[in-house]
Order: sequence, then C-alpha cells, then structure tokens
Amino acid sequence: MPLARPLLGWLAFAVVMCLVPVFVSTGTVRILVFANFLAIFAMSWDVISGRTGYISFGHPFLIGIAGYTTAMLTYHLDTPLWLSIPAGVFATLVGGTLFLLPALRIRGTYFALVTLAFMELMYQLTQVIAPKVTGGTRGLSGIPTIVSGAIPNYYLTFGLVFAIGLGLWFVLRTRIGAALAALRMDEGAVAASGLSTIRLKLFAFMTSAAVAGIGGAFYVHYLGSIAPRGLFDINFLFTILVAALLGGSSTVAGPILGAYFLTFLLEYLRPYLPGPERYVIYGMIALVVYVLEPRGLHAILRTGARRLAPLLARRRIAP
Amino acid sequence: MQLRTDRALAPLFAALAIGVAASLAHDARAVGDPVKVGFIGSFASDTGRSTLRGAEIAIEELNAAGGVLGGRMIELVSADTREDVTEGIKAYEYLNESENVDFIVSGSIDDVSLGWFPRMAEYRTPTLDTWTSYIGLIDMVGEEYEKYKMYFMNIACDYALGTLYVDFGKDVLGKQMGWKSTVILQEDTAFGGGVQEFIAEIMEAEAGIKVLDTIVYDTQTVDFAPIYNKAVALEPDFMYLISSVNSQVPSSQYVKLQVPVAMTGINVAALGLDFWNDTGGAGGGISTLSPIPAVGMELDDSSKVFAEKYRAKYGDERPVFPHFNGFNAYHGVKNAFAAAERAGGFAPLDDWVREMENTDVKLYKDGEFWHRYAYFKPGEIEPRTGREFVHNIKFDLTPPYDDGAPSMVVIQWYTDGTAKVVYPPKYASGEFSIPPWLQ
Repeated sequence: MPLARPLLGWLAFAVVMCLVPVFVSTGTVRILVFANFLAIFAMSWDVISGRTGYISFGHPFLIGIAGYTTAMLTYHLDTPLWLSIPAGVFATLVGGTLFLLPALRIRGTYFALVTLAFMELMYQLTQVIAPKVTGGTRGLSGIPTIVSGAIPNYYLTFGLVFAIGLGLWFVLRTRIGAALAALRMDEGAVAASGLSTIRLKLFAFMTSAAVAGIGGAFYVHYLGSIAPRGLFDINFLFTILVAALLGGSSTVAGPILGAYFLTFLLEYLRPYLPGPERYVIYGMIALVVYVLEPRGLHAILRTGARRLAPLLARRRIAP
Repeated sequence: MQLRTDRALAPLFAALAIGVAASLAHDARAVGDPVKVGFIGSFASDTGRSTLRGAEIAIEELNAAGGVLGGRMIELVSADTREDVTEGIKAYEYLNESENVDFIVSGSIDDVSLGWFPRMAEYRTPTLDTWTSYIGLIDMVGEEYEKYKMYFMNIACDYALGTLYVDFGKDVLGKQMGWKSTVILQEDTAFGGGVQEFIAEIMEAEAGIKVLDTIVYDTQTVDFAPIYNKAVALEPDFMYLISSVNSQVPSSQYVKLQVPVAMTGINVAALGLDFWNDTGGAGGGISTLSPIPAVGMELDDSSKVFAEKYRAKYGDERPVFPHFNGFNAYHGVKNAFAAAERAGGFAPLDDWVREMENTDVKLYKDGEFWHRYAYFKPGEIEPRTGREFVHNIKFDLTPPYDDGAPSMVVIQWYTDGTAKVVYPPKYASGEFSIPPWLQ
C-alpha cells in the first residue's frame, strides 16, 4: 500500500485545484494559467538539470521548437491543432536529441554554455531563415487558440500540469529515478555498475524534451502569438530556472510550487508596485529563500509540517 | 518512509491554501464608480512614460472639468510591460480581468502590441495605441474588422512613415545632396527588422538610392567603431541608422569618432529633448525621421498648452518634453472620451467604434490648419498608396497636407543643441545639414 496515500494526495490536489475557480476571480484564474505553464516548463527543466545534474541554459530552445512548429503549421497551412501540436512535440524530440549530443562528451559549465548557444542559435534562425514563414523579428500573431476564456484555459492547463506531474512522479520514483540521481552524483560509478549512462541520459533528455514540447505547443496556442524575443530570451530562461530552484529541484512538487509562488508573488505585487520595483522584491525574496534553504520552498514547508505535526498530535492527546 | 512520501504533497496544499486566501483578499477590493482607463507600456522607457504622462494630463483635465459620462471621475490604472511580449500579455490580462478597465491607452512597442492583440479581440476592450506603428496591426483590423474593430492606432503606420520618408530621400538625399548609395545599420529588434525590410525594398525603386548592405547589430552594443568601420569600407554616400533602443550610443559615438560618412535614419533617442544631455552634447549633425508632433516642430495651439502643462508638472524628470506619443496619448484619450460621450459610454462597443470613426478634430497653429485627429474608416482608400488603413490616424502623404497631417517629419539636431524640422517644407523651420567635420 505504499502508493495509496501519496496517490490520495495527488487526488486531493486535483480536487482542490478544480474547485479554485469557484472561489477566485477570473483575474486570479488567468494568473494560475501562466503559473501552470511555468510549472510545466520548470518540471521539464528539472528532469534534465535537477535529476541528472546537466544544467541546461537552453530550455527555451526546446519550448520554442514546439511553439514555432505548431504556430507555423496552423498559421500558414491551417493544419488542425490535433495534428500540429503532436508535430510540434515530435520536432522538440528531434531537438532534444541534438541537446543530448554534447552531453555525450561534456558536462558542467561547458554543457551549460553549449545549451545557451542552442537558444541563441534558434533566436537568430527564426529571424534569418524564411522570415516570411516565421514572422521574422515580429513573430506571428493571430494563431488559433484551443479554447477561449480564463476558466476553460485554466482547466486545460491544470490538466496538463496534473498529468505531467503525476506521470513524472510515477516514473521518477522507480529505479530509473534513482539511477538518474546517481548520474548526478557520480556518472563514473553508474557506468561501473553496469548501467548504460547513455541510455539513462537519453531517457532524461527525451522526457524533458517531450514535456517542454507539450508545454511549448499549448503555450503558443494559449498566447495566440509567438515572437522570438518573447521565447528565446534570457529572462524567460531565468524565470524557469528560478521557479525550479526556488520550489525545490529534484522533486516533482518543487517546480510546481516554485512556479505558483513566483507567478503569484509578481502578480500580487503589481497593483502596489506596478513598475520594475516588484522585480527587486522578487529577487530579494528568492535570494533569502535560497540562502535559508538551498533545497527550496518544498523543503522549507516539509520541515515546517514535520515540526508542526508533533505539536498538533500532542494537543489532540491532551485532555 | 511512508510518512515521508505521504508528506511530499503537503507543501503544495499549504501553498495552495495561502494562494487562495490571498486571492480572496485580493478579489475583495471594492469596484468603485469611476471610469477606469488602463495604461499599458514600459515604465522604464521615455516613450512609455510619454504616453503615460499624456494620458495623466488628459485625465486630470477631464476630471477637473467635472468628470465624464454624467459626472463620473476617471481613474488611471497602469501596467508595466518591461517591453517584454509575455509581460505585455499578462499586463493586458491584468487590466481587463483584475481591474476591469473600460478603455486602454497603449505605449507598447511593436512586438508587445502584437502579443496582446489576440487578448484585445477576446476582451473586446476599446484600445488606442500611441507608439506601435506596425502596419500588420492595421491590416488585421481591415481584414477582420468585426474581430479587431476596437483598435485604433494614433500614429501613422510604418508604411505611411516610410512612404513620406522616401519623398525625403528623393527630394533631399537624392536631389539636394546627390547621394546614390547607402548602408543600413539596423538594430536587432522587431521594429528594426520591419523597417529594414521596407526601406531596403523601396529606397532604390522609389528614390534611386542603392542599399549596399545591411549591418545588424545588437541593442547592447557599446562599441560601434567596428560597425562604422565596416560600413565606411563599403563607401556609401550615407548610412541609414534604424535604432529604437539605446540610440544615444551609436549617435554619440558617431560624433566622437567623426565617422567620415553622413548618417540619417530613425533614431528614437533623438526624438526627445533629453537626447542632447544623453549624448554629452555630442548629438550635433544627427537627423531622424519622427512621427508627429515632433521635438523641434512648431506646435498647434492646443498641443502647445499641453506641452506647457507637461513641463510645469514634471519639471526636470525625464523625458523633459513629451515625445510624439505623449501628444498622441493626450489628444487620443480626450478624443476617446468625446466619442464615449456621444455614444453614451464605451459600451456597446459598436456605438463607441462608430463615434470614434466619426472623430474629426482639426488643430490650428495661428489660424493655419496644422494637425488632425481623425481615423480611416473601413473601405476608405488613401489616394496616394491606393490602399486601406482602417482605424489608422488620418495622414496626408501629398503636399500641401491639407487632408490630415503628414505622416512624419525629419528632425535635424545642430551643434548648438537645438533641433528643428527640416522636412517636409511646409513644417520646416531649419535646413538639412551634415556634421561639421564632413562639410
């Protein structure tokens, strides 16, 4: 029965999230939609970087491949979404393979820099190669949306977060997850134990690419527009990284938590600090959290819950 | 072990509870009586601030006059885009979903406007743009009128700007200066790419000026010497700069390096009076295309009053003088409310759009027709280009510009720190000149 209680937890999470739109305004629901997308991107990044230790600075490259593929197919060829979105995800898997190639030879700082180059390359390519097809520097606007309105988009994106989160949780709690964690700690030891590090890396990179591809394709059809400066941007990359690290990397719940925290923090500060000052506050909070607990919010809340549990239990026992 | 896995999701629930509680507190804010106007644009840029301040002054005037739509006060809500596409979408959503604004005035750049454009169609919020000039937006309004009819562009679109600029190319760069070739220095932005495509396409065909090459540079470039060297090596008669971000850097370095080739083009930093200080007094000899009303341009009586109020209110805070979009925001907000008064409000949308299309405000300078705020209607053909510009501000591309203001003017900065309009002749108060070291 080790699965039963955590599965109940996931179920309760789904039920609560499904009820959220009943209690909050559509403005808040819109914020949650962006939080859901960020959660998907952060989970995707965490599969490569949090689990295997291969720090990716090029994740927008993977997200952008899917986004541009489905955007161009629907915008220029009127391809139905049920075809263009899988095509986008497939294109990202091909891109994920490209990502893997440098990881066969290098790691650490060098790998991070190569992935950053992928993002920059994609930024340039969308503008230089066939700008009439990619929309050049201005991108494409008027891309069809899957559903319209805050609440349908919320349920759609939460459905994706839930399915991806649960799927990753299932997979990563198996021996594969343990092997990936071992890869981060000592790749040589994993190889010496008879496991194929290449296969393990391929698995992590493909899983990450698939998640990024799904997120990217749906993201573009949510926005209704795509622009190179919006996707292949260092700020976008940092937002993904901060969400994963602030929430707690190497966990499934951490990146989701980080994404929700980050998005809500910035949006709730907006009425009080409409200008760039809110980014200073966000930076300071992120810094304080990370200095206090490098394992992120997930660990802070778990520690808090662990300390609170005996106190609550004692109160229940007391007459 | 079981306890640990059981608690794995506890943080999510805790965070969710905090989030929902915060949401409830946030959403409980009372919705008041005022008419809400949303500003969307960059707080950090001079152009963004110009639009914001233009809207602020217009709203202050309308409120001081007893309010609008039956004495209701206007409340301005601002949302920063940081000139970022996704932030722009979030800002547009925030103004509509959380603040329930009735009308939006935008000081967004091209790709940010393109980003929130689908949201505008979804919310059906009347929106007036004062900075974006991308014709693609105007074309979308024309092609899908029902979907995008709530959008008005209060600046001549880039196609109109370019068409009149080609006249400047023919009359001044070609005939007067005798120049036959150019090298385009283009910044790596959506705006830069769009203008480059247009200029490269028509400069030779229309003005007989050959484009030898286009050099694309990053907006963070701090050393322009290699770029200028590369351009000079191609031996053009002049260089055409397309710069909307950090334009003071290529400008001041051009002067300090005394680059031996003349330079004109689009230089957004040179559109404001702060340009002179930004370049450390090294902006003499720079000229730029500017939408109107421009710095250095003589103003109509009404805009003159606005400019005086602006200077009195904001003093030395930059931008010390409104950019063109500050004027367009000021007049645009007033015109949008005048249309709302005639239509009985911003809703129903069709009524407001109809009245906005009927807007026709003519502005005079010392009794002479000088500027006009009117909009092209669906099906209306602009005579010179033979095409539609649905909901673009009405411009006139043919002298004597009596059907609308010209789409642009060319400003010249002089070595004494003054700026004057040098083209078209009707609006000119100075002469086009090349930097002193080239004379």
